[in-house]
Amino acid sequence: MNEESLVVFSEDSPLTIGRIQAASVLDAINVDTFGRDLVEYVDNRSGMHLLLDFEDVDYLSSAVLTELLRINKMITDAGGSFRLCGLNYDIRKVFEITNLDKLFIIYEDLAGACKKFKRSLDIEAQQHGWDDINPNG
Amino acid sequence: MLTPFISIHHRQSLVEKTIFYSEIPSSVDALRPTVESAIAALVAHGWIDEDRSFYAHLCLEEALVNAITHGNRLERQRKVRLQIQETNNYCVFRIWDEGQGFRMDAVELPDTQSPGGRGICLMKHCMEEVTYDKTENCLVMKMKRKALSKGVSNHE
Repeated sequence: MNEESLVVFSEDSPLTIGRIQAASVLDAINVDTFGRDLVEYVDNRSGMHLLLDFEDVDYLSSAVLTELLRINKMITDAGGSFRLCGLNYDIRKVFEITNLDKLFIIYEDLAGACKKFKRSLDIEAQQHGWDDINPNG
Repeated sequence: MLTPFISIHHRQSLVEKTIFYSEIPSSVDALRPTVESAIAALVAHGWIDEDRSFYAHLCLEEALVNAITHGNRLERQRKVRLQIQETNNYCVFRIWDEGQGFRMDAVELPDTQSPGGRGICLMKHCMEEVTYDKTENCLVMKMKRKALSKGVSNHE
């Protein structure tokens, strides 16, 4: 059975944008599809910088948080980074209650998120370059 | 001759009214229609606002998912029962499963890397009270009227 993908990916170099489009509710029923969409895209793409946009999501449950943690580990273990944007007030609250706002970098809207994420990657690259020149600090 | 006293238990049972009851198989497929119907009952009886059902939805889903997956181990033939009653002061949710029960006090907020365990934390943060009745294998949550419509800022 060909299930509709919940996440649509696009490139905005050096970022990959994942937009959750096909469901305003992410719960225990579609969490497997959500997780599969992310894993299939992320797998074998080492060093990717994924920004996941929740603009069209009205509700999510803790099952989704588990998937986000799994994806975060996959991406960061492969040398990349994973950040979120577009969370509504209540979803943001869920992250705060569960302390996951301390683990994930969460931006406001997509446009601002892209700018800030890219800027932070530039800074990291400059820092790595400086560290290479001056390994002893 | 009229009895002058009514026992506390009898008095309470006189004012507890069931506003929703459902029995579902242990499958996540059964979740959405049950949660949606329960939310509709809560709205109809004035316990939550229709446009502020997020946290009630969350607590119901977390409780039912725990009963289905942990209590009944996803064994479809095992049933989960949801009852919602209202009293003068509270809306009381009871969720029964057919499992071995668990210790509420042993459940803590997992660290940020743990794969699960956040459902109870969310329920405790949202609801006025969350307890587990070991004799009945029943999770009990209590909510005040319209409490969840205001959000969940500093409940704990």
